[in-house]
Amino acid sequence: MTRTKFSRFGTSHQTSWDWRAAGNFICGGAGSSLLAGSVAAAFPEAPDWRVLLAALLLIGAGLVFVWTEIGRTWRAFNVLFHPQTSWMTREAYVAALTGALVAGWAFTGIAPLAHAAGLAALLFLYCQARILKAARGIPAWREPAIVPLIVATGLVEGVSLLVLIATAQEVPSSALLAALTALAVLRFASWLRYRARMDASDMPPVTRRVLDSVSRGMLWVGTVAPLAAAGLTLAVPAIAPLAAVAALVAGAHFKLQLITRAAQVQGYALGNKLRRGHPLTMKPGAAEATAR
Amino acid sequence: MTRYVMVADLNRCVGCQTCTASCKHTNATPPGVQWRKVLDVEMGEYPNVERLFMPVGCQHCSDPPCMEVCPSTATGQRKDGIVTIDYDICIGCSYCAVACPYQARYKVEEPRFAYSSGPTETEAIRFDEGRIGVAQKCTFCADRVDAGLAKGLTPGVDPDATPACANACIANALTFGDLEDPDSNVSKLLTDNTWFRMHEDLGTDPGFYYLWEEK
Amino acid sequence: MTSGETKPSHPCDPGKEWKTNMSTTHKVSTYCYQCVNGPDMLTVEVTDGVATTVAPNFEAKGYHPADGKVCVKPYGLVQKIYNPNRLLKPMKRTNPKKGRHEDPGWVEITWDEALDTIAAKLNAIRATSLVDEQGYPRVAFTTGGAATPYFYMGTFASFLAAWGPVDQSLGAGGTVKCYHTEHVYGELWHRAFTVCPDTPRCEYIVSFGNNIDASGGVTSVRRHADARARGIRRIQIEPHLSVTGASASEWIPIRPKTDPAFLYAMLHVLLHERPLAELDVPFLKNRTGSPYLVGPNGFFLRDPESRKPLVWDATSGRALPFDTPGLDPALVGSFSVGGIEVGADNKSWTHEAVEVTTAFEFARKLVAMHTPEWAAPICDVPAETIRRVATEFLQHARIGETIEFEGRTLPFRPVAVMLGKGVNNGWGAYECVWARTMLMVLVGGLEVPGGLLGSTVHISGMDFDRMGSVAPHPDGFLDYPFNPTDKEHWAAQPQVRHGHTTLIPIIGGGLTSQLMGSTVLSWMRLQGRAADSWGKPKPPDVWFVYRCNPNISFSETDRMGETMATFPFTVAFSYTQDETNHFADLVLPEAIDLESTQLIRIGGTHYFEQFWDTQGWVLRQPVVPPRGEAKDFTWIATELAQRTGLLEAYNAMINFGAAGLPLKTEAYDFSLDVTRAHSVDETWNAICRAASADVTEGAASDGLAYFKEKGFRVKPFPKMNWFLYPRMEDLGLRFELPYQERILRIGQELSARLHEQGVTWWDRQLHEYEPLPTWKDLNRLWADAYERAYGIKASDYPFWLLTARSMQYAWGGNVSLQMIREVAANVAGHDGIMINARVADELGIEQGDRIEVRSPIGVTSGRALLRQGVRPDTIVMVGQFGHWKTPYAKDLDMPSLNNLVPMNMDLVDGTGSAVDAVLVNIRKVGRKSA
Repeated sequence: MTRTKFSRFGTSHQTSWDWRAAGNFICGGAGSSLLAGSVAAAFPEAPDWRVLLAALLLIGAGLVFVWTEIGRTWRAFNVLFHPQTSWMTREAYVAALTGALVAGWAFTGIAPLAHAAGLAALLFLYCQARILKAARGIPAWREPAIVPLIVATGLVEGVSLLVLIATAQEVPSSALLAALTALAVLRFASWLRYRARMDASDMPPVTRRVLDSVSRGMLWVGTVAPLAAAGLTLAVPAIAPLAAVAALVAGAHFKLQLITRAAQVQGYALGNKLRRGHPLTMKPGAAEATAR
Repeated sequence: MTRYVMVADLNRCVGCQTCTASCKHTNATPPGVQWRKVLDVEMGEYPNVERLFMPVGCQHCSDPPCMEVCPSTATGQRKDGIVTIDYDICIGCSYCAVACPYQARYKVEEPRFAYSSGPTETEAIRFDEGRIGVAQKCTFCADRVDAGLAKGLTPGVDPDATPACANACIANALTFGDLEDPDSNVSKLLTDNTWFRMHEDLGTDPGFYYLWEEK
Repeated sequence: MTSGETKPSHPCDPGKEWKTNMSTTHKVSTYCYQCVNGPDMLTVEVTDGVATTVAPNFEAKGYHPADGKVCVKPYGLVQKIYNPNRLLKPMKRTNPKKGRHEDPGWVEITWDEALDTIAAKLNAIRATSLVDEQGYPRVAFTTGGAATPYFYMGTFASFLAAWGPVDQSLGAGGTVKCYHTEHVYGELWHRAFTVCPDTPRCEYIVSFGNNIDASGGVTSVRRHADARARGIRRIQIEPHLSVTGASASEWIPIRPKTDPAFLYAMLHVLLHERPLAELDVPFLKNRTGSPYLVGPNGFFLRDPESRKPLVWDATSGRALPFDTPGLDPALVGSFSVGGIEVGADNKSWTHEAVEVTTAFEFARKLVAMHTPEWAAPICDVPAETIRRVATEFLQHARIGETIEFEGRTLPFRPVAVMLGKGVNNGWGAYECVWARTMLMVLVGGLEVPGGLLGSTVHISGMDFDRMGSVAPHPDGFLDYPFNPTDKEHWAAQPQVRHGHTTLIPIIGGGLTSQLMGSTVLSWMRLQGRAADSWGKPKPPDVWFVYRCNPNISFSETDRMGETMATFPFTVAFSYTQDETNHFADLVLPEAIDLESTQLIRIGGTHYFEQFWDTQGWVLRQPVVPPRGEAKDFTWIATELAQRTGLLEAYNAMINFGAAGLPLKTEAYDFSLDVTRAHSVDETWNAICRAASADVTEGAASDGLAYFKEKGFRVKPFPKMNWFLYPRMEDLGLRFELPYQERILRIGQELSARLHEQGVTWWDRQLHEYEPLPTWKDLNRLWADAYERAYGIKASDYPFWLLTARSMQYAWGGNVSLQMIREVAANVAGHDGIMINARVADELGIEQGDRIEVRSPIGVTSGRALLRQGVRPDTIVMVGQFGHWKTPYAKDLDMPSLNNLVPMNMDLVDGTGSAVDAVLVNIRKVGRKSA
């Protein structure tokens, strides 16, 4: 049943992409921004090769998740056929480019190759965000504010991982923690913007409920906890990883929810612009003139 | 120029699903896959309720989001506007399915038959391995359109050049034809009636027009 | 014929070659008659010997009113052929104990053994007597689908005709799934076994639950869609917003079983709130019995000499016989007149001068107190709504206008009142049918262009020749073959277990009469709980069941099964195992719809909205050879005839016309040699040749091969025959309304006959024999009947449980077809029980929760489907399900209303029908996930 004549109906959760797709956004986001972050942190040197390898493995893991989800596994390379418009093709090319640049650096030791890999990784992250935005059948994805949100979330994840890596070796630098808190705030701001845009749209009730629960995670686990933990680090350095883990978990949770629970399809609707006359001979503005 | 479109008259449709069934026959779709189907829509609250039936399926958009996102170029568009899928190229990523705002696309991972005991004779001879693991959707019966055109027939007028659903519709609610031809059936219907298209705000320029007279 | 030798381009990529296949494909033409709205024509594509694709028969465009299209059901026929659950070999029961929980112990046998077993039983009957000690036929035959199975059973009808008396009154429908009261009264009043608007010309339809878009077939759907396109208004008055309500201009949610109040209030508006001059006075005066004078004993006042009913001639100021030329009969007023009255059993009264008035005045008086304000609280519909509908109906009637039709000037009255099945059966149906037809009469809209038409007859004539059934009655009305109720001719002894010729005069005694209406009485008698003074009948020695499943489609189905288990020898012609053949002794696989041969009539006018300008014949032919050992019914019939020594009689019946038309007339002779058995093709070749001759005035004699190729053959049918009015006018006849003098007389006679025999258990039904039906409070009637019978408090059962037609399933025998299930699921109601969303909320019921529905006699459960388009006091179960044996269907988890509907003689009306509605309560028994 629908409440008003023109509201959408027949929305149900998309069944095309499952947790494996979410895995790509989680791992790919974390890996790409870890790569970019490590390059930035080490600049103008090249970062620790182990970090780059870990980043590439994360990106690769995400792509493997997707590979297991496609129907024709052995045609996977056909994914490369449509760079003109498909952000999925572009993601694949950029992933390959990133890997190639890292490999090039590994073989040659030329640091700018690693730097370029860092930029490519950022592009990869952007591709992922655009993949979602281009999914016009899913209101929670196609919202343009998803792009900064996905990018910000990826960046938080990458920096969180850097914090964790730094913790394993020594105490993370205050600059790194400052970056983490700044990015967490940026992510929360992106989230608020995304939420506001979604609230203003005709989103399905189920999507709203899922976003409500994500909101709480984003605020308390993804933002307040990292900020508080980062602040406390000044007094108790050992709790730095808590800030990172909280930020990381909130981001991963958000993406998992975004793909597996908030992704109600567009549904159907009657058009609220009733018109009369042949569509090809109508004058511009005629639609409005006859709309009720 | 030619642009094939479907016109669905909501004032005529009675939701009988004859089009759904005829599509399943003609296109040999497996259980649960309905390239064409009719929704049973209820609006309002008792006692001020309206119910109507709405045929849906691929809208053959002129700016199809599915084609834009398709990474393999399996989804294409013919010069006559029909949006196509090349089953031999498609990788089955389902990106098109989430990009389509009309829930028109299906992917079947495993052979699926009406009865658990295996395929019936009909299902056996019509089974197409090429459709497993790839995206599928309404083709506007492009094969029928092409075969009809090759015989000099007019799509939307001659049954042998017309999609099965439009042929089968017992209420004459589905009309297929060339929007660019001012004298076509669809042009006349759209000229003489009020109509809308679904989700126009998404900018897809759908090739599926709904005639509707509000009560 | 097409072949795959060419290489068309790939549909999705023109540059690419389509997969080459060397297969061969051809199309076969056939018909679908799965429901009464057929036959419709279709083609089936066959590839390499396998049926694949159903499509309309486009060759029928220009002949068939819906351009050769078929509805959704025949698309299931391909899967029906190849359904793995199909029975493909004859089987016999080895467990003599019959019961729902008994395993029948089926073992496969040969056809020879099966036929020999049946023949042995039949020959034993012939050796004793065809009827048992109580006078009932020892052989019974049951089918469903409103007798449409006759169009699938080849020459089996010829075998039954050769056999002799057969009890066909063990019906498959407990309550009535048809338009029973309309059938009988419609045929009495205007040769309208079925009724429909003249949809192509109609402008305003008041529909009381008439679900034409789901139950009217292809032609109805098409005609109504066309009518909507040109702006027809349809007011849909029903408790549940049906598929047809969806396309209506307006939905009025009326309280169940209160439709007579709405209709009477409409009559009140027309007869008391509008001036007489606004009605179609000439029509009332000249084409109805309105001006007939009614004597003090309730019978027409008649001219003593001619015994013709009298009218008051306003011109001469005296009473004259109704057919006196140049009359101006008065519709209103009272007059002092002399004459005679003729009552029951020829009792007569002579009146010198008595104050009398007209039948029209009686009708006015009947509805005087039934104002819209009176009806409003009963119907739960505002009085102004009722008044508005009545007024709009009158305004749209265009009284006084005419139309040129086929060169003749006819009245043009583009309005109609339609009734659905739920208001057409059981108590209250007489009121509805009478009031509806009265509304049409008041505006002169009966049987004229734009108005309300009949389309076929079954009681008064042959179904393909409606106009041929028109015969005048001396009182100026249409003659009608009532079963006699006079002492001399009354059938005191029932001829079948139902006793329809004894109890129900209006149902007639023809070939189809015992198939009509509810057969609650037959089954209740077999259960020893009705008609006790007649004694409990014995079950038939041999019971044939074909293409039906009474143990699903009847009421109180659990109890039905117990009754079936007592039958000594049941032969079921069956497609799959089901709830009825579970109790059978033999199960035989027949060649189904797309596997067998039959030629039947098409065209002319028939139900529901088939109005053709041609008439002729259409062939059903094997699209593919029968699967397994399934056999063509003509072969089965011929084999049985041979084994029972009836071959000659059977062939003679075919020659006589029992298979469709006579094989020998003055114009042609294609008769079969009666002394030998004929193959299926030989038999139908002869019938096809006769059909060719029939449509060509003897010029052609093409046989089976012609029809196999062409599919059908027709001759012109005059469109003037779509309307009865011109014929009535030509013959100077009147529609027998408003006053039912014959019904009154027959009722008194029937009452006398039954009471003479000591029968008092039919007294409640005798009350219905009123000249004008008095309004009854049906909600009260139901509550009282339940309280009397089941010792319950009616208030504990606050919901009406109704059913609604499923176009996808109705009469298709297709519950085991996956594809039908799949597409039907797109239509609301095929997945559970529809309940008003607000009421559900109050009861804590959420979408998908399991709810239990309980009537005083049964309980069922299903998923709750929360809907807005259903009244708060109503729940709806679509179709007929509740299967526990039929493969596939038993896993659907779909409830059925049938097992909750009581068989209760208090709820059977005077025409022998009962309705598909029951009072229930509901409760939540589980969560969605449970």
